[in-house]
Amino acid sequence: MIDAIIASALTLSVPLVLAALGGAIHRRAGVVNIGLEAHMLTGALFGAVVSGATGNWALGALAGLFAGAVTGGLMSLLITRLKGNEIIVGLGFNIVVFGVIGYVLRAGFGVSGTLQIEGLERLPRLDIPGVADVPVLGALISGKDPLFWLCIVLVPVLAWLLKNSRWGVRLRATGASETASSSLGLRTLDIRDGAGIIAGALAALGGVALSLGTVGLFNENMTAGRGYVALAAFYFGRSRPLPTALACVLFGFFDALQIRLQTVGGFSADIISTLPYIAVVVVLALTGIREYSRSARKLS
Amino acid sequence: MTSAPTQSAPVEPDPTPAGDPPLQRILIATGRVARHAGLPVVIALLVGAVVLLATGNDPIAVYGRLATEAFGTPSRINATLAATTPILFTAIAAAFAYRAGVFTVGVEGSFVLGGLTAAVIGANMGGFPPVVAVILPLLGATLAGGLVAAVPAVLRAVWSVDEVVTTLMFNFIVAGLAGWAVQSFFQERGQANSATAYVAENAELPALAPPGQTSWALIIGLLLLIGYAVWMRRSTLGFEFRAVGSAPRFSTAQGLRVRTVLLTALLGAGLIGGLGGGSHALGIVHRYSEGFSASFGFTGIAIALLARFNPIGILVGAILFGALNAAGATVQLFINLPVQLIDILEGTVMIFAVAVFAFPRLSKRWAARSERRRP
Amino acid sequence: MSSTSTASVPGSGPAAIRCRIGARGVSRSFGPVRANVDVTLSVRPGTVHAVVGENGAGKSTLMRILYGLDQPDSGHVVIDDEEIALTSPRAAIARRIGLVQQELAIIPELSLLENLVLGEEPVRFGRIDWATALRRAEELSASVGVDIDWKAGAALTSIAIQQQVEILRLVYRGADVLILDEPTAVLAPAQAEELLRLLSSLRDAGRTVIFISHKLDEVVGVADHITVLRSGRTITEIARGEIDREGLAALIVGDSEVAERSVSRGDPGETVLVVEGVSAKDDRAVLRLDDVSFEVRSGEILGVAAVAGNGQEELAEVLIGIRGAASGDIRLDGASIGRASIRKRRLAGLGYVSADRKHEGLALGLSLADNSIATPALHGLARGGWLGPRRVAERVKEVLDRAAVRYGSSSDPASSLSGGNQQRVVLGRETIGNPRVLVASQPTRGVDVRGIGYIHELLRRARDEGAAIVLFSEELDELRELSDRIVVLHRGQVAGMLPGEASRSEIGALMLGNHSPEDDNPDADVPDDPTPGHPRSPRGGETV
Repeated sequence: MIDAIIASALTLSVPLVLAALGGAIHRRAGVVNIGLEAHMLTGALFGAVVSGATGNWALGALAGLFAGAVTGGLMSLLITRLKGNEIIVGLGFNIVVFGVIGYVLRAGFGVSGTLQIEGLERLPRLDIPGVADVPVLGALISGKDPLFWLCIVLVPVLAWLLKNSRWGVRLRATGASETASSSLGLRTLDIRDGAGIIAGALAALGGVALSLGTVGLFNENMTAGRGYVALAAFYFGRSRPLPTALACVLFGFFDALQIRLQTVGGFSADIISTLPYIAVVVVLALTGIREYSRSARKLS
Repeated sequence: MTSAPTQSAPVEPDPTPAGDPPLQRILIATGRVARHAGLPVVIALLVGAVVLLATGNDPIAVYGRLATEAFGTPSRINATLAATTPILFTAIAAAFAYRAGVFTVGVEGSFVLGGLTAAVIGANMGGFPPVVAVILPLLGATLAGGLVAAVPAVLRAVWSVDEVVTTLMFNFIVAGLAGWAVQSFFQERGQANSATAYVAENAELPALAPPGQTSWALIIGLLLLIGYAVWMRRSTLGFEFRAVGSAPRFSTAQGLRVRTVLLTALLGAGLIGGLGGGSHALGIVHRYSEGFSASFGFTGIAIALLARFNPIGILVGAILFGALNAAGATVQLFINLPVQLIDILEGTVMIFAVAVFAFPRLSKRWAARSERRRP
Repeated sequence: MSSTSTASVPGSGPAAIRCRIGARGVSRSFGPVRANVDVTLSVRPGTVHAVVGENGAGKSTLMRILYGLDQPDSGHVVIDDEEIALTSPRAAIARRIGLVQQELAIIPELSLLENLVLGEEPVRFGRIDWATALRRAEELSASVGVDIDWKAGAALTSIAIQQQVEILRLVYRGADVLILDEPTAVLAPAQAEELLRLLSSLRDAGRTVIFISHKLDEVVGVADHITVLRSGRTITEIARGEIDREGLAALIVGDSEVAERSVSRGDPGETVLVVEGVSAKDDRAVLRLDDVSFEVRSGEILGVAAVAGNGQEELAEVLIGIRGAASGDIRLDGASIGRASIRKRRLAGLGYVSADRKHEGLALGLSLADNSIATPALHGLARGGWLGPRRVAERVKEVLDRAAVRYGSSSDPASSLSGGNQQRVVLGRETIGNPRVLVASQPTRGVDVRGIGYIHELLRRARDEGAAIVLFSEELDELRELSDRIVVLHRGQVAGMLPGEASRSEIGALMLGNHSPEDDNPDADVPDDPTPGHPRSPRGGETV
C-alpha cells in the first residue's frame, strides 16, 4: 500500500517537476509562464505521434522537446517583442494551442479527442536488480522511466547553473531588474526568450511523460490542468529548483492519494485537487504580509 | 525572488471625451474601439485562415458560412444574442476591475460558483412568487461570486498581495469545490454526468422570443452595462477608479480612497461575475452541470481588453464573440469543421489585444542604423 | 602634457592627447527648450573635471551626450582629440567611457560580487570563476582604498557602498573615463567625503573623472578643472586654485541673478501647524529625520533649507502622510494628525504640492478636469455618491482660472501642458479650498523664469488668504524671497531657525552644520565640514 502510493506519487510528479522547473527558470528570468499547459499538451502530442511513427520513444521525446521549444519561443516572442502582457498572452496561448490541437485531431486525424497510435513505444521502465524488491527503496528508485531520472539530474544541475554559470547569473539579474541589466549591456530580451524556450521544452517533456508514460496514447484533455499545478509548484517553491521539485512531489502525492481514495471511496478527489492552489494562496499571502509590514511607505 | 510581480492592467483605457454631446462621444468611442480591435481581429482571421487552408478548407467560404450562421436569420441572431449574454457579464466584470488598474483573472471562478448557487437555490423555488423566485437565486449567485473574490480582494487591498496569481488560483479552487459540492450534495439522480436538478419553472428567466434561447438575462446584462458606463463617468468612486487605475501614486498622494477602490474593484468583478453565472443558469441552461462555463471568464477578459474597457466596445465585442460561439456550435452541421476553430480565433484575438505594435519605434531604430552607416 | 596644435590629428598617440573627452559646439534642444547651446568642454586625461551650473543649465544633457545616450542636434563629441559621432552607450563603452547615473544599476537580489562581474564574468571550464572574481574585486577595492564586503547581498548594503560598487564596476569593465551625475546628492556627508577620496584615487591611478555637483565646497576642493554652464552655454573653464567658492557661485548664477528679487512678507496670525519631535526613516530604514520640531502660523511661509539628503524629502512626506513618522506628533489646529491617513489630513485642511509632479502631483494621462478635482474634497461636488456635472464643471473652471492655466479644453490630458502650466494646475487645485496648511515641495522645479514668478504669486496669495505654508526649495534665493522664517535641516535635525531676511551665507553655514552666527558657541568649530582638506569658508552650502 505504502509502496504503491510512493511509486504512484513519484510517477505522477514527473510531468509536474519537468513543467515546474521550466516555469521556475522562466520566472527567474522575470516572466510568469501561464502557458505551461499548452507546452505540455504540445509535447504530449508530438511525443506520441513521433514515437508512433518511428517506434522509438527517444525520438518521440526529442520531437516533443523541440515542439515545446518552438511553442515556448513563440510565446516568449509575443511577450518580449510585442510587449504583450505575460498573463494574457499565456491564457490566450493556452486557448489557441488547445484549439489548434483539437482542430487538427478532428480535421487531420479524424478522431475526437483521443488519438490511439499504433506502434507507439512507451518510455521504458528501468528496474534496478536487487533493489526492486526492497520495501520503500524499491518503490523510490526502481521501475522508473528515463524522464524520472532526468528530473533527478536536472534539479541539482539547474540549481548549480543558476548559481555558477554566466547564463544563470545573467538570467537572475534580468529577472530581478531588467532596466539595470540592460544598462549593463545584457541582452535581456534574448535572455528571456532563451528562458521561454527552455520553459516550453521542459514543459513539453512533461507532456511526453504523460503520453509516453503510463498510458501510451494522446488525449486532448490529458494535461488536466497540470500546467497550472506546475505554476502553483514554482510559486510554492519560490522558483528554486529543489523546493519547486519537492512541491511537485507533494502535489503528486496529493494526486496519488486522491486516486487511491477514489478506489477506496469516501473522500472527494475534487477537494484534494484544490490543495496545491490553496497552498499557493497561503504562501503568497504570508510572503505579502511579511513584506508589507517591513516597508515604511504605505498606501493610505 | 521574494515577491510576485505587481501587474497592472495590461492595456490603458482611452481617455474619456468629456464635454462633447453623447452621440458624438459614442461615435468617437466606437472609432477608437475599431482602431484598437481591428488589427487583433484581422490577425486572428488570418491565423484561422492558415489553419483552414492547411486542412483543405476555403477560409472565405467558412467565414461567410460563420457570418450567415451568426446573423443570417432572426433565429440565428437570437442564438447569437443568447451566446452574447454570459460573456457580456464577464466582460463587464473584467472591465470594472481593470479600470482601477486591478488585474483579476478570477471572473471565471465567480461565474461558476454563481451559476451553481443560482441553480441550487432556483431548484428549490417551486411555489415562491415569480419575482422572488428569480431574485433570490440571482442574489445568492451575486454574493457567491463576491465570495470567490473576497480573499484576493482583501489580500490586495490591505497587504498589496499581487492579485493575478491569487485570483487565478481561486478559479481552480472553485472548480474543485463546485465539483465536490455537486457530487456530494446536489447531484440529480439519473444523470450520467454531474449536474444539478433543473431550476423550478418560476425561477427561470423567461425567453424574450421563444423558442429562441435569448432571455431576460440579456436585458439584465444590458442594464448592467449602462449602469457600469454611468457609474464610471458620474460617481465619485468611479472617478477614483479612473484615477487609481491611471496614476496610483498620484491617487495615494491626493488622499483618494485607494484601498476602497482596490477592494471594490476586485469584489465588484466577483459580484458581477457571480450575477452573470446566475443569469446564465436561470436564463439559458436552467441548471448547473460540469462544463457550465465554456471559459466565459477568460473570453470576458479578451473582450474587456479589446474594448479598452469602453462600454460600447464591450457590447460590440461581446456580440462578436457571441456570434463566433453561436455560429461555431452549428456550422459543424453544414461543413465538416471542428468547433475548435472558434477557440483559435478567440485566443489569437486575446493575445493580440495586448500586443504593442511598435512600428514607430522600429522605424526609428532603422533610421538610427542608417545614420550610423553614414560616413 | 604635450600639446597638439589642432584636434583630430589621426594617429596621434595617447601620450599626445590633450582632450580625453569633451564636446565641441554641441547644441541640443527639446522642443522649445534649448538644453545645450554651442557647448564646449575639454577634459584632460588623468584629471578630475567638475561641471557646475544651476538646475536646468544643461549639465545632465551634456553628460548624456558624452555617454551616447543622446545625440547633439549640431556639434560633436570629442574623444581623444577626435570628433566622433557617439550613437549609443555601446559606442561609448567601446571607447572606455563609463557613466554612473543617479539611478544606480545595482541589482538588489544579487551579491555585490555578482553585481560587479555581471556581464563580464570570469569563466573557467564553463563555470564562473568566483575565486578569481573575488580576488579581482578585492584588488580593485584595495587599489582605491575602500572596504567592501563583496559577498554581502546588495539589498542589505548602504547606497554609498552600492555607488562605490557601481564605480568600481566601470573600472572593472575597463572604463578609463568615469562620468558621474551628482554622485554626492544622495550621500550623507561622511559618505560623500569617502566618495571624493575614491575619485581622487582614481585620478591618481591615471583615470579621468567628470562629475556634476551642486556642492561647491566639493568642487573647489577636488576638481582639477571646473567648467561652468549657465542656461545651456559654456561660461568658462577654470583651473584648480584660480577661484574660490564665492567667485564660482557668482559665475554660476550670473550677474543679473545676484541682485535681490522683490520680497514680500506675510502677516502671521495664530499657530496652525505644530511639528513635535518628529523622527522618520527612509525606505532603507535609515533614520533621516531626527527629533524635528517647529511651528507654522496662519499667513506665514516657513521655508525649509537643507542640502539634498538631509531629511527634507522625508519631512515633506511625513507632513502629508505618505511616510509614517517613527516617533513624534503633528498637530493641525490643535488636533493630532500624526497618525492620520493622507485622506484625513487633507480633509482637515492640508494641501500638498509634490516635488514629483509627474507621478504624485498630477495624473498625466487624465484630463485637466479630472486633475483639477482629484482630492478628497471631491465629495463636496457630489450628492449621494454621484458627481453633478455642472458642479464639477464649475469647480474645474474655478481651479483653472484661479491659477490662470493656459489650456485648450479641460478634457485635454494633463500631459499636453508645459511644465509650468502643469504646476499651476496643481497649485490651483491645492489652494482652491483655502487650505489651513500647504506643504509645497520644490514647487518651481523645472519651471521657466516667468512661470516661477507666477507660482510665487500663487503661493503668496494662499498665504495672504490665511494658509500656513511649509515651503521646501533647493533655491536659497527662492526661500529668502518668500519665507517669513527659514528652518534649516542638517543631518535630519533642526540646525537653526532664521528670519526670512537671513543672508545666503547665514543659511548656508547652518546647512553645512555650522552653528548660526548669533548663538556664540565656543564649540562651533567641531569639524563637520563635508569637504576634506578644504578650509572652511564663511559661506556654505548649496549655492544655486
